[in-house]
Amino acid sequence: MNNTTPAIEIKDLVYTYGRSDAVHGLNLTVPAGGCYGLFGRNGAGKTTTMKCLLNLLRPRSGIVRLFGMDPAKQEVEVKRRLAYVPDYVAFYPWMSVRETLDYLASFRAHWNRDTERGLLDRFQLDQRQQTSTLSKGQKTQVALVAAICPEPDLLLLDEPTSGLDPIVRREFIETVIGAYQESDPGNRTILVSTHLISEFEGLIDEFTIMNKGREVLTLGADQARDRYQKIRARFATNAPETTFPGALRQRRNARELEIIANGGGPEILDQLRRLSPESLTTEALTLEEVFIATLQ
Amino acid sequence: MLLQINFKSGKPVYLQVVDQIKAAAASGAVQSGEPLPSIRPLAEELRVNRNTIAKAYTELENQGIIETLPGKGCFVKPNNSPLKKEVRRKLLTEEIDHVIVQAHHLQVPPDEFLNLVRERQAAMQERQNSHDKGL
Repeated sequence: MNNTTPAIEIKDLVYTYGRSDAVHGLNLTVPAGGCYGLFGRNGAGKTTTMKCLLNLLRPRSGIVRLFGMDPAKQEVEVKRRLAYVPDYVAFYPWMSVRETLDYLASFRAHWNRDTERGLLDRFQLDQRQQTSTLSKGQKTQVALVAAICPEPDLLLLDEPTSGLDPIVRREFIETVIGAYQESDPGNRTILVSTHLISEFEGLIDEFTIMNKGREVLTLGADQARDRYQKIRARFATNAPETTFPGALRQRRNARELEIIANGGGPEILDQLRRLSPESLTTEALTLEEVFIATLQ
Repeated sequence: MLLQINFKSGKPVYLQVVDQIKAAAASGAVQSGEPLPSIRPLAEELRVNRNTIAKAYTELENQGIIETLPGKGCFVKPNNSPLKKEVRRKLLTEEIDHVIVQAHHLQVPPDEFLNLVRERQAAMQERQNSHDKGL
């Protein structure tokens, strides 16, 4: 595969439901082989964006490309190469787990039986059980098995772990890391939309924060943790009422000062040192804290 | 050797893995010839992207800390840097300069600074000894 073609390319995407905008001029590029996070509050337009990628919704305007192809025109070719796990999974209720997987496998050119066996064991799923009697966590596990076994180039995960218990969430993420990226990790791309950001922190290479259908911030995860810092200073007497240029936010409480820096961390630290604080500490913001600081 | 990722350190995740493995090799927590965990289980355990671990191992290999034997995995190499002595000295000098600047800002005077270096060296030596005895 040509690695320079991005797995996903979205330009000026607009989608409207009735009179309200769901996505308003979104731009997004997901390089092949990475794990990309799409973060946003409920209603930010994440699911609408996913559905436009899957050709389940037709954009009002803008360009959507997957592997350089138009999902509306080359739908089959695009869908051969991707798999999708939605937040709410529905199967035919009369089918067993076995029948469901066989049914889904019948649409696929390729299906890794070893991976399937390994994952069914790991999740302790009973293949004879009817899907209507599965718990929400088990349904998500079956959907994940069905998404990973065809070994697609792109895995679209839309709020995949919301509503699951912590153990199932953990297993879900470990499975994505382990089983999905197992062969040819350089060509295994993940787009995950979530607001449970801390769970996916280690997986995310790059992310976009969306708000009200628009892109607010796009950054590499390591760069974000380098750029956004929480600086705390404690003084012998009351904290000075200085304002710090480059501070995203600052809080003062008697002798203490807390500053959220976006980029200007070293300058703010220099400025603080000159004020001779008793103690001075910095730590990086986690991606979840970056998300909150950006949208507050 | 148990690695731990701290997202609040602000240090790129792959470099945290690199530095921790280097520290483990220096202290004797992993000995030369010992295998490192393979990429998949380590990524799963730390819950980080496999590319991150792969990048860390590539970096360690470039620095001559580990070697990859095809089909067998990654192993810690004997402490035998492929770099020339003056290059090695230069790399270390850069690190030392950085720490000296820090010491200045933290108002640690030169004598105290040197004592601190000796203390840390002794602590590292002690860890090495205890690992040697453990074998």
